[in-house]
Parts: sequence; structure tokens; C-alpha cells
Amino acid sequence: MITLTHFLVVGACLFSTGLYAVLSRRNALLVLVGIELMINAAIVNLVAFGRYDKSLYGGQVFALFAIVLAAAAVAVALAIILNVYKFYKSVNPEDISNLKD
Amino acid sequence: MTELLPHITDKLDHILAGLPMLLPELVLAVAFLATIASGLFVDHHWRNGSYVVTTAGIVLTGIYGALQLALPTVDDLLFGMATMDALGQYVRILTSAVCLLFVLFVKANPGFNAHRKKTSDLYSILLAVHIGLNLMGMATNWLMVFVAIEMVSIGSYLMVGYLSNEARQTEAAMKYVLFGSVCSAVMLYGLSFLYGFTGDLDFTSAAHIRGLAGTAPLLTATALLFVFTGIGFKLSFVPFHFWTPDVYQGAPTPVTAFLSTAPKIAGIALLSRIMYAWPADSAAFQYVQTLVLVSAIATMLLGNLAALRQTNVKRMMAYSSIGHTGFLMMAVLAYSSGEYAILLFYLAVYALMNMGVFILADYIEARTGATNVSEYRGLGKTLPTAFVSFVILLISLTGLPPTAGFIAKLFVFSAVFSNWQLTGNTGMVLLLIVGALTTVLSLFYYFKVPLNAFLRTSEDAREIRPARTYVVVLATLITAAVLLLGIFPGWLVDLF
Repeated sequence: MITLTHFLVVGACLFSTGLYAVLSRRNALLVLVGIELMINAAIVNLVAFGRYDKSLYGGQVFALFAIVLAAAAVAVALAIILNVYKFYKSVNPEDISNLKD
Repeated sequence: MTELLPHITDKLDHILAGLPMLLPELVLAVAFLATIASGLFVDHHWRNGSYVVTTAGIVLTGIYGALQLALPTVDDLLFGMATMDALGQYVRILTSAVCLLFVLFVKANPGFNAHRKKTSDLYSILLAVHIGLNLMGMATNWLMVFVAIEMVSIGSYLMVGYLSNEARQTEAAMKYVLFGSVCSAVMLYGLSFLYGFTGDLDFTSAAHIRGLAGTAPLLTATALLFVFTGIGFKLSFVPFHFWTPDVYQGAPTPVTAFLSTAPKIAGIALLSRIMYAWPADSAAFQYVQTLVLVSAIATMLLGNLAALRQTNVKRMMAYSSIGHTGFLMMAVLAYSSGEYAILLFYLAVYALMNMGVFILADYIEARTGATNVSEYRGLGKTLPTAFVSFVILLISLTGLPPTAGFIAKLFVFSAVFSNWQLTGNTGMVLLLIVGALTTVLSLFYYFKVPLNAFLRTSEDAREIRPARTYVVVLATLITAAVLLLGIFPGWLVDLF
């Protein structure tokens, strides 16, 4: 029997993996992958909780919006990273540090 | 699905009844499509096509927004997605004003004019962001909040990376997009838990408040902290401010001016809407109040202390705007629901001052190439009008009389003081002390500009390049407005 807890645990694992990928900061593209994992963790939660919301299906609708917005944000981020690569010849966030205190 | 069929007519009627309230947003949507079309077909023949369409769209939105002030409050617009009250309507008008200034500013900026991509795409992005900002000001549903914040964020990433003429601009855009996406992902995760605890996405509803009260405090606190990551990123309060200095310095100056004003207006409105949706004795409200209080104090201190050692004007202004965010949060804490006149006055004055300062900084850079405060040496005599306005705006940002900045800070301080007298909350006293202290601190870094421009002289004469001068007229008008509102604040306060 798969209960709500199982979904939440999967979500939490996905979120932690994503957060680790973001914080280790090896490569801008991997950071994006991490962000995507974090968003997916939230989507898993929303859909799992949405099962108990039979009248409005708020969770499912929210998940659809989140997927679309995540796709749009990633498209913009990839275009920007491409521009960064043109100037720095690297996508490692640690090499890209002209702006700092 | 079939049991819902008989209700479809009712639902459609409800949506159609709500549409007149969204007239300003519909105008923006039409203008958005029109700028895309004019960028493709008209701009080859008539250079100003999309500029005129955008300006007309924004002005029309502002006018419709002002006309709607007469309408009664509607609480359940689009099935409780949004509420249409005076606060949301004033935010719409303020946002339109800021967007209009931004369009005029872009028109005068040499970087945007010389760019091969032209500006029509920038205008359409701006109009989309304007819709997002309007929605942010009136959202009462977490889904609407998330969609609005993402609309504003994605547009802002594009604006920062629009020119990508030099390495630093692309770097600023990359830092912004990565930091912003992480914050919105964390926020989404927090929202999923709030939904799970309450089973309702409308944060003003009774079910939501009951659900929050019935959950373990630690869980609610964690979920709310996650949600405030996303809002904190938009408002750039401590500890979510790391992106601000880099992005403000690297972005094209008009975009910096826009980012430091418009999203803050909408974000502060959203913050106060969320805070005052919950009853004052609920655990959730008290937690959020403490959270905002602590970060307001930290934001004021950090913003003003870090600004002291900056040399780049845009970076200095970035830290100064972080400090002002702290003040705005103080205004949010001080106002009890219904009396938002102080908050709106502060927002309007802050938007004017910041826009004016960035317009002048950009003009000075276009004329002389100076980007650091030390390079302003002796320029006060070369560009007298620009620097006199600059100094007056900085005096206003510090909060000294006879400017509007002084009146705005005075209102906030007296509201905080009377709140303390009513509630006896020690946090309010702390806010007052830190606020007064940081106001004095800010004098030291703002004073660097007149010090260099007027009191020091430079040995080598700078080459003065030609530039569009109408922005100076615009900046002078803004300065005059700031001075007049400082002497006659009633002109604006009585409107709210």
C-alpha cells in the first residue's frame, strides 16, 4: 500500500538532491538540473496532497502551472548561460566573478 | 466531471462579471500583442512604432486604473483568486507610473538605442511584467501569487540579460536567473506544504486559517520560511539579498532603476496582504511578524553598513535600496490593516527618488563616462543642473527636510511609535532605534557625491560627450516633485 507518506518522502529526497546540486555549484547547467529536481519535488507533493482535495483539484492545477512556469524559466536561463559562455568560455559559476565586493 | 456540467453557465457568468475589474490588465495584454506586431512590421518604416504603442498602453492602463478607484471592493474576483480593493488599485497606478518612467528612460539610454536588437522586444517584456506586477498587488490565492511572481521574475531575467554587450552584463543575468529560480523552487516547495496542511490555496479563507492553526507550529514555521524565501528574493531583504549588488551593478542602468522600484512596490503590497490576511492572535501571524521584524532590522543595518565602503555608484545605490527595503518592511509592520496611506506615500516617494537618481547616474555616465563616486570630482561645475538635482534627491533619500523623503520617514517613525504605545511591543522600539541609527549612517555615503562633485576639484579636464538632454528635464521634474511633496505632503496623502 502506497500512502501519502511515501510520496512525501520521495519529494523530500528529490528536494534534498536538488538542493545539493545547487549548493555544490560545479556547473551552471547542473545548478539548473538541481532547480528542476526541487521543482519536481514540490510538484510530487502538490499532486499527492491534491488527492484529498476532491472538490477543486487545486493541487493538480497548481502542478500544471508549475510545470509550465519551470519550463519557461529554464528556457530563459539556458539562453542567458549561452551568452555567458560566449564571454567567459566557461559555465562554472566560480570562474565567473567579475562582479563582487 | 458530469456533476459539474450544470454549473458551467454560473461559472462562466462569474468570470464574465469579474472581467470589467481586470480592464487595465486586458489593456496591457492587447498592448503586449500590439508591440510584438509593431516590432515585426512597423518599426522598419517608423522607428518609434513600438515605443508609441507601449507608452499609450501604459498611460491607458494608468487611466483605467484611476477610473476604477470609484468602484466598490470586490473580494472574490475570479473565484477568490484576487481581491480588488483600494490598495491593489493604487499599486496598479504606481506601477504604471514607474513603467512609464522606465520607457522614457530607455528611450534616452545610449546602450539600448545603439543595440542591434532594438527595443521593441524589451517593451513587450515590460508590458508582460506590468501584468505580473498588477496581479501581485491583488493576489489572494497562492497559485496567483506564484504565477505573478514568476511572471515578474522571468521578465526581469530577460531585461537584465537583454543587451549582453559585455561580460559583466551576462554575469549579472546569470547570477540573477540562478538565484531567482532556486528561490522560487524553494517557495513552491513551501507552498505545497501549506496546501497540504490546509487543503485550500486561498490564504484569506477560513479553511486556510483554521488549517494553519491546527498544524504543529514547527511545520507551519518551516513552510512559511520556505514561502518567504520567494517573497524575500523579490524584495531583496536579508538574508535573500545576495544577488542585489551584483545584478544592480551589472544590469543596464534603466533596468536597475526598474528592478529597484516596481517589483518592490508590488512585493510590499503582497507582503502586507499576506500578513494582514491572518488574525492578529494566530500563531502564523505572530511568526510572520517576528520574521519580518528581525529581517527588517538586519536589512536596514546590513544595507546601510555595506553601502559605506562602495565606490561604484550603482552598487552603492543597490545597498541603499536594500536599506530602504528594511524601512518599507518597518512601514508594513507599523500599519494596521486599512491605513495603508503611509505605506503608499513611502512607496511613491521612494520610487520617484530611485528613478531620479538612476536617470541622473545614467546621464552623467553617458556624458562623462564616470561610474565611480571618485570620478565625479569637480563635475558639479560642468553639469550643474544634473548634480544639483542629484544632491537634492540624495538628501531626500537620506530623509532630511524639506524633502518628501523626510516626510515619508517621519510618517513611518510616528506610525511605529504609536504602534508601540498601543501594543507595548519591544520590537517596535528596536525598529525605531535601528531606523534612526541607519538614517544617520546613510548620510555618510550619500554625502560622498556632493563632496566629490562640488568640494573637490580635478586636475585633468574630462571630455564631455553629447547625450540626450530631455532626461535631465525629466529628472529635474522628479526633483521638483520630491521637493513639492516635502512641503505639501497633503497633495498626495489626501489622495490615498
